[in-house]
Amino acid sequence: MSAAIAVAVLGASLSLNGVFRGWVWLVPAITTVFIVGLTLAVLRALGVHPVLTTVGGLVALVFILDFTFFRPESIAGFIPSGATLDTLGQFLKRAGETVVSETAPVSPNAGIVFVACAGLGLAVVLVDALAVPLGMPATSGLGLLVVLVFPATIKPQSVGLAGFLAAAVGFILILGCSQWFAPDSRLQNDTAHGTGQLKRSMVIGGVALVLGLLLPLAVPGFERGTFPVGSRLNPWGVSNGLNPMITLGNSLRNPTGDGSITYATSSTAPVYLRSVTIDKFDGDTWAPDDREASRRIGPGRMAPDYPLPSELVRQVTVIDTGQFTSPYLPVPYAPTAVNGLSGRWSWDPETLSIRGEDGTTRNQQYTVYSALPALTSATLSQDNAKPTSISQDFIQLPGNVPDIVKNTAKTVTAGANGNYAKAMAIQDYLRSSQFTYSLQAPVQGGYDGNGMSVLADFLQQKSGYCVHFASAMAVMARLEGIPSRIAVGYAPGHSTGATVAVAGQEPLPEFQVDSRDAHAWPELYFEGAGWVAFEPTPSRGVVPAYASEPVAAGGPSTNLHDENLVPGSSTPAPSTAAVPPLAAPGVGAGTATGSGTVLYVTAAALLLAVLVASPRLVRSGIRARRLRPARARQRGSGHAAGPGPPRDGPVLAWAELQDLATDYGVPPVPSETPRHFAARLGTSAALGAPVAAASPSGASDDAGRRALASLTGDFERQRYGPPAGIPAIAAAEQANSAAARIAAVRAAFRRNASWIAVLRADWFPPSLMSRWFQLLWSPFRWRP
Amino acid sequence: MDSKRHGTVDEQLVRDEAVVALPPERESFNGHKQTVMDPEQFHAAGEKILAAINKVIDGKAEAAKLALTVLLAQGHLLVEDVPGVGKTLLAKTLARTIDCRVSRIQFTPDLLPSDVTGVSIYNQSSRQFEFRMGAVFANIVIGDEINRASAKTQSALLECMEEHQVTVDGHSYQLGEPFMVVATQNPIEMEGTYPLPEAQRDRFMARISMGYPDKLSEIEMLETHQAVSPLAKVTPVVTSADVAAMIATVQQVYVSQSVKEYTVALGRATRDSARLRLGASPRSLLQLLRAAKATAALDGRDFVLPDDVISVAESVLAHRIILDRKAASSGDTPQSIIRAILASLPVSQDAGAERRGA
Repeated sequence: MSAAIAVAVLGASLSLNGVFRGWVWLVPAITTVFIVGLTLAVLRALGVHPVLTTVGGLVALVFILDFTFFRPESIAGFIPSGATLDTLGQFLKRAGETVVSETAPVSPNAGIVFVACAGLGLAVVLVDALAVPLGMPATSGLGLLVVLVFPATIKPQSVGLAGFLAAAVGFILILGCSQWFAPDSRLQNDTAHGTGQLKRSMVIGGVALVLGLLLPLAVPGFERGTFPVGSRLNPWGVSNGLNPMITLGNSLRNPTGDGSITYATSSTAPVYLRSVTIDKFDGDTWAPDDREASRRIGPGRMAPDYPLPSELVRQVTVIDTGQFTSPYLPVPYAPTAVNGLSGRWSWDPETLSIRGEDGTTRNQQYTVYSALPALTSATLSQDNAKPTSISQDFIQLPGNVPDIVKNTAKTVTAGANGNYAKAMAIQDYLRSSQFTYSLQAPVQGGYDGNGMSVLADFLQQKSGYCVHFASAMAVMARLEGIPSRIAVGYAPGHSTGATVAVAGQEPLPEFQVDSRDAHAWPELYFEGAGWVAFEPTPSRGVVPAYASEPVAAGGPSTNLHDENLVPGSSTPAPSTAAVPPLAAPGVGAGTATGSGTVLYVTAAALLLAVLVASPRLVRSGIRARRLRPARARQRGSGHAAGPGPPRDGPVLAWAELQDLATDYGVPPVPSETPRHFAARLGTSAALGAPVAAASPSGASDDAGRRALASLTGDFERQRYGPPAGIPAIAAAEQANSAAARIAAVRAAFRRNASWIAVLRADWFPPSLMSRWFQLLWSPFRWRP
Repeated sequence: MDSKRHGTVDEQLVRDEAVVALPPERESFNGHKQTVMDPEQFHAAGEKILAAINKVIDGKAEAAKLALTVLLAQGHLLVEDVPGVGKTLLAKTLARTIDCRVSRIQFTPDLLPSDVTGVSIYNQSSRQFEFRMGAVFANIVIGDEINRASAKTQSALLECMEEHQVTVDGHSYQLGEPFMVVATQNPIEMEGTYPLPEAQRDRFMARISMGYPDKLSEIEMLETHQAVSPLAKVTPVVTSADVAAMIATVQQVYVSQSVKEYTVALGRATRDSARLRLGASPRSLLQLLRAAKATAALDGRDFVLPDDVISVAESVLAHRIILDRKAASSGDTPQSIIRAILASLPVSQDAGAERRGA
């Protein structure tokens, strides 16, 4: 039993895989779960009082946690001491920071793994307490749910099939084994049937499991539309998730916008604040690559690995992060030095992203010195050389690039000559009026997130937000041989009107960004120019001058500080006037997803119709099946005996009669004999008043009554009569007429019932409904 | 009706012939060699008998049918009711419609067992003991007010009922077939009586109470019974050979597994009932099923329905069960409890059980 519980909890914990990075956490988790489970099992085997067993499990949990995490500070290696408490405090603080600042998958530091192990151990004790001493094995699923709910809500792939199945198998094991350990003596007597019980519960559990998996697929609107969260619980794990890219989407959809960052910059235009870049495009979810090996500590002096042009525009930016919390530091590109940070920070020479080693960006005030190559479209277009000076990471693509992406890239860049021209072609294509900016369309269309398949969806629907535009451009650029990466950070935001005095500088204008300005944009590498940011997202951010078409910009293309650079996200930039501004979600989805919506509505209506009609269909099916053998015998009267026992006919007809009577409000009573039932039915109003012989309907009512009498007679003879009592010919005759008689009785019922009763009998036959309800409740009933 | 309370056996034979010889068909009867009637024939014969009885006794069709049922099921009948409601008339009419011998014993406290069974008398001329048959040597024996006789005499009769034979001085004498005792009990005058103990009541297949006739029947009775004895116009409608054939037919009636199960369930329900101190005995279930078979046959069927069991259950079981003291004081009667049990006992009708049963 304890083994079953341990298996179940471990199975559930498997799904934590994506919450943590790597598998380091698994070993402590397994030891914790098994030690606690073993302790419980041993204590129970010794016959210790149930309460003490649970307490013992808790003590064992404390010991094993102590042994695993606080060995040096502990007495004898596993008994907690005062020093342990201090370490525990630190651990909890780290865990808390991790939870607040990092997004899944988090790095498995000691704090968070400790919390996870403690949680799993507690889950074991909880599940055990529910299943064994309290005798509620079914409820113990709650304990497993506690474990499962975290990956379900946090992980990009939701729970994942393996974890879900493992947890389900464990739960079924618990249910099956509970038979042997039930404290109810009534159940314990049943040990002889133990294996049968286990098998039966396996089957029931398996069927329920399959149903549970299939049902969400069958119910429309469960995963998208009003309930996009439904997909979170789907173990099939379509790729969507929570990482910097996705938090972006959520931040953008969050209308209030909290945790604002203020900055003052010497740049003549407000700057993009870049937190991190995403450069590995394989897998279902794109996440930052930390490149642990090559990271360097101390962002006081930073220099990229790749050569920079000599002509640089230097800027200084003062940033106050306020409540903004992230492991990655938002800085304007390309930082050369960052001063004033507290804590240890490291930076990646490839991407120049800065990450906190033991702290977050919360409440940091720092000064960033950045240098940006002075770029013009003219200089960029000169560069056609194949980039050589950077890592091949930035050009690699996974094998699963959808065809639509390849084809689109090929079509769009068909006429372009040179890398810059190609990049411009892609940006123009994405900024063209074909694409609309919509935060809601991806959610409704089910491609909210990132990854290759999402990209394909986006290119089809032509509606999305910055993540989609940026990743589309980045992938298409790589397809065309231009190294690319996606930068995640913040669009310039809006001016606060205040100025900030910075040492050695004039007072700088202050800007503010909040979560509504969260943004993603592609950076493309050009040999000699370095990484160059583009802005493919319509209506967002500002298009750098070098990335503006000379014609579209309407001015000298060399003018870096275009008049059009209006900071702010909510107002569309005039330079993008051709693009419909911020399409309303519904409209955005309109044409593209119009046919899809119709399809869903139709499917939903069909499903609803099937659902509504199902009792009727099932009922008619049952009726047909019951009366069919009779007809079959009629046809095949040549071979007298027939395949089945011919005497079943009247019994089936009788069952049908009983159900029919139930449908029309005369349910049979268990203590009634067939004759009683028939008599009651005959005198009830359901068959019409017996005296109505004179009326035209009276004659047919009489037919119904006669049919009833003969049905009863046949059934009685068949049921109670001697085995060989009926001659074969008579039996065949009876069988033939059974269907006709049922029809006669039914006709009489229908004639005499109110239309509501007829409606109910047709669509919600009580006979079927009560049976279904019984079936529904039967698993919850203990069988004595 | 006639309440003769002499202290002697009032051997009032309805037919003139004295008790001389045993009926010749007896041996063959016990050998089950009778021709079996088919259901329709049986039904017709039964109807004829009942029609004849009902001509004499007005408004007591139920009681008449039950009496006939008990006769055909080879049981004995206990009629318990106040004087003057036609207990004896019923028994006599039944006997007269069938061509068979009837004797009547008026039980009194000083009636001796030998008065019932018969006695060996020394014959001076032949110098031998001769057996003089008692009143019990008949096809239908009417025992009036059986609770007035001493326990010893009662047991003598009960032994005959059980064994269908009389043993005197080491000789066994077979009784006639069909043989049926219709005993009456008067519940009102209980002083100086020896009411039948439970064990002996168990010997009777059924107990009925006649009850008063309804208004119309009573008026009609006053008219028709004024001048002549109602029995005068009763003529036999079937022969005793017919009755023997009918009894053989009843024995052939088919009882399906599910009816047996139902009967057993009924018996167990009475034993498990919290309101009963004593439930139905296995013998009572045997008799219940026999009565049900006769009912089915009278209904023209060759198989028993649960309905048949239900229709006779009250009469067959009520006098055998004993109420718990609490139930008795709360106004329950054996009849009401049996009715309640019947109302709550499920009759399995589902097809699944049927396949097992058949």
